[in-house]
Amino acid sequence: MKKVILLVEDDELDVISVERSLKKNDLDYELYTAYNGIEAMEMLKSNNGEIKLHPDVILLDLNMPKMNGIEFLKALRKDEKLKDIKVFVMTTSGDEADRKTTEQLGVSGYLIKPLNFNNNSKRTDSMDGFFQFHIRKIFAS
Amino acid sequence: MKISTLIFLGFSVVLTLSLVDSYVNNLLSRQVNKNTVFLANSESVIRNSSKLHKSIIDMQSAFRGYLLTDDENFLTPYDSGLKEIPRLYIEQRRLVKDSAPQLSRLDSIFALHKNWVNYANDLISSRRESLAANGSSNRYRELFDTKFRKQVGQKLNSKISDIFRDFDRFEYKIRETRRDTLTMSIERTETFSFTFVILTIVVAVTTSVYVVKLISKRIAMMVNLAESISKGKFAIVKDNKNDELTSLSTSLNIMSERLSKNIKELEKRNSELNQFAYVVSHDLKAPIRGIYNVVQWIEEDLANEISPQMRKYLSFIPQRINRMEGLIDGLLDYARISRDKALKEVVDVNLLLKDIVDLLVPKQFTVQIGEMPVLFTERIRLEQVFSNLISNSVKYTNHADSQIRISYKELNHFYEFTVEDNGIGIDPEYNDKIFEIFQTLREKNDQESTGIGLAIVKKIIDDQHCTIRVKSELGQGAKFIFTWPQN
Repeated sequence: MKKVILLVEDDELDVISVERSLKKNDLDYELYTAYNGIEAMEMLKSNNGEIKLHPDVILLDLNMPKMNGIEFLKALRKDEKLKDIKVFVMTTSGDEADRKTTEQLGVSGYLIKPLNFNNNSKRTDSMDGFFQFHIRKIFAS
Repeated sequence: MKISTLIFLGFSVVLTLSLVDSYVNNLLSRQVNKNTVFLANSESVIRNSSKLHKSIIDMQSAFRGYLLTDDENFLTPYDSGLKEIPRLYIEQRRLVKDSAPQLSRLDSIFALHKNWVNYANDLISSRRESLAANGSSNRYRELFDTKFRKQVGQKLNSKISDIFRDFDRFEYKIRETRRDTLTMSIERTETFSFTFVILTIVVAVTTSVYVVKLISKRIAMMVNLAESISKGKFAIVKDNKNDELTSLSTSLNIMSERLSKNIKELEKRNSELNQFAYVVSHDLKAPIRGIYNVVQWIEEDLANEISPQMRKYLSFIPQRINRMEGLIDGLLDYARISRDKALKEVVDVNLLLKDIVDLLVPKQFTVQIGEMPVLFTERIRLEQVFSNLISNSVKYTNHADSQIRISYKELNHFYEFTVEDNGIGIDPEYNDKIFEIFQTLREKNDQESTGIGLAIVKKIIDDQHCTIRVKSELGQGAKFIFTWPQN
């Protein structure tokens, strides 16, 4: 079944990583990409409040310019029509406060992007490996 | 009030009391003395009085004897009385000169006696005349009839005796009073002296006890402060007095405040530095991760399009990135040592070493581990120390007979562990340098050697207030010896 995914991520390399992971896994998907929270909101709603896009899953980075992930998540959970969308947080921040805040707002997963990438590490420790592993799980959810 | 003022005041009070005591004692003893002199004087008065009285009576007896017997021999006491009595009278007068009633009695006695002497003299001389004229002297007869028969002399004598009786009675009475006064003044002197001595002792003891207590209390306060400072608690001593010790406690307080401020500042700086290192390490990794990914993508997607030379150049990138990662991880570990608190637990060093060796030491190594102790310590820290030392040995030992030996011995409160290898060793010239961060004796492109491992070891051991040293010669292997607290 085709899944509609909205990726909210300011780092273009991560966007490419996600795209490559989706392709490599041979999954049926439709990917939309926004580079910050405001862009993402604009993709979801028009100015008069009409829903333009209702993705199955939002992959959300936290540290972004203009509107960060937490602000976006708050706005999303306030919107009657959008509040039930599954959100997976993907961040490099190991900050416990961020994890708590997002979990209180309701997320389906909190994934810490790996910073280790040498060849000896576990498979999920490389960036590509990480995205491939989690994308499969997210799809299965 | 200053302590010296207090001591001075105390001494002054004691001294004043002593002076007053001496002065009053002196006054009282003078009084006693005076009374004693008076009593001695009075004794003399009584003795003189009886002497005088006796002489007078002797004269009277002699006079009567002569008149009865006409024997001149009877008149010897009479004549000596004539000479003796005025002398006794003058002496007695001198003794009673301070007492007017006694003086007047004495004078009356003397006056009456003089009258009697005149009377007696007349009779005696007329008697002699009569004897010389063979009893035919009319004058004697006349005197005998008019005076002797009428008992003129006897009356004078009994008057004299009466006055003597009064005189003695009076003297005895005065003596009685004086004796009472003397007893009383002696008693008073004793009481007074006793009271004053007690009072002086009480004041002296009270003052010294108070001063000693005051000083020792203040000193104890400061000793407490110094003790709590030495334990790292920068308290302040409360001192609302104003004396010699105040400046000491003020200095102590200033010292304590300064120490506290400096240490807080130091702790703040240290934690800022650790935070900085952590953030820097963390943020440095993200871009490197990106670079690594891009290279991977190029290799995956464009494998057919790149030239062998390009491939070779590209292959340098992951190498350098791995090294960079090693450096950053090391820096992160180094920063974490102080940042993360480690918990103490029971650690069996035998098991700990077995795990580390299994993980880090390749099969071709001969590893000798003696019987190791069990301690209550921060497992993660001890593990980091051994891991770094053992992996260091592995890195620098690479020949057919590679050996690692680990042993320990017990010192006072500490264990001394030794990790020894037979690797390439270290030039003694660098023995101190190897513990500095980013100091490696390998070439810069060697990806395994970042120069952080031994710096971490050193930092952990410094945090435990222990020591590490290395014994090594180039080509002779290396021996790392470090101490670790027993508890």
